[in-house]
Amino acid sequence: MERPDLKQSFGRLLGPEGPEVGCDVCFDELDRYVELEVAGADADAAIPGLRAHLDGCSACREEHDSLHALVRGDQAL
Amino acid sequence: MSVRGAAIVAAVEPALSVPAVSPADAESREWLQALRAGGAERDEAVARLHTLLLRAARFEVARRRPTLPHMRGGDLDDIANQAADDALMSVLRRLDDFRGASRFSTWAYKFALYEAAVKLRKRAWQGREVPVEPEAWGLFAGSGLEPEAEAEQGELLETLKSAIDSVLTQHQRRVLVALALNGVPIDVLAERLNTTRGALYKTLHDARRKLRDHLIERGLALASLEDR
Repeated sequence: MERPDLKQSFGRLLGPEGPEVGCDVCFDELDRYVELEVAGADADAAIPGLRAHLDGCSACREEHDSLHALVRGDQAL
Repeated sequence: MSVRGAAIVAAVEPALSVPAVSPADAESREWLQALRAGGAERDEAVARLHTLLLRAARFEVARRRPTLPHMRGGDLDDIANQAADDALMSVLRRLDDFRGASRFSTWAYKFALYEAAVKLRKRAWQGREVPVEPEAWGLFAGSGLEPEAEAEQGELLETLKSAIDSVLTQHQRRVLVALALNGVPIDVLAERLNTTRGALYKTLHDARRKLRDHLIERGLALASLEDR
């Protein structure tokens, strides 16, 4: 049976598998990462380890999601 | 701009040095030029910047509003204004850190979103005790799994619980349990422990790495567990 909640629970407990940046680097690079994403470029290749950090840090992920939505909304105007 | 925002503007002097890399887009260059100017030009640019930051802070408040039913609209707008004021101070102080890797507005937005998010997380947990003992093992309940898979998962869980008690330091255990098991926001725990988000995340990262290594040493298959 599919258990997405179980997968999320283990994910929160054990975190991402690969190398990741810390919260400070994430904040420093977040604007560049989001603009690359919105432009359709390979943001993960440009800034290795940031996606893994977003997978492991819910606070940084929430702020990424907000910045992404705000920038995308600006470009749609 | 709020009274507090005006005081910030007066306290933060224009940055004197020039960034090593000039932004590619004209709008960002105009922002930097105006914020580094003097007199009325700078005042006008700072006021525009505050408007930009307030818009981002209100955007964040609006996104989180459904999760904050107990907060009144006036309180939420106060938080948005405080976030914009604090973000304005951060942006003006760190103006030389802007290297043009993104548009200036995107770079500035992140300060306002961060300030608003942190304030709202803290407000939501105001007056609440932070649980540092495991409360959420029920999320790992195996109901619905085949008997063999449930037995395998049970072994993994028991190994994990044991490792949390025996492999981690007391500080790592508290941080992991509060953040990853009990869902305490990292900024709330950082404030209670008088530390920073970055330092706490490093502790969480080290704890997770120890647990993963412990499971691998015992031949437990993390990939199949996480795919379930």
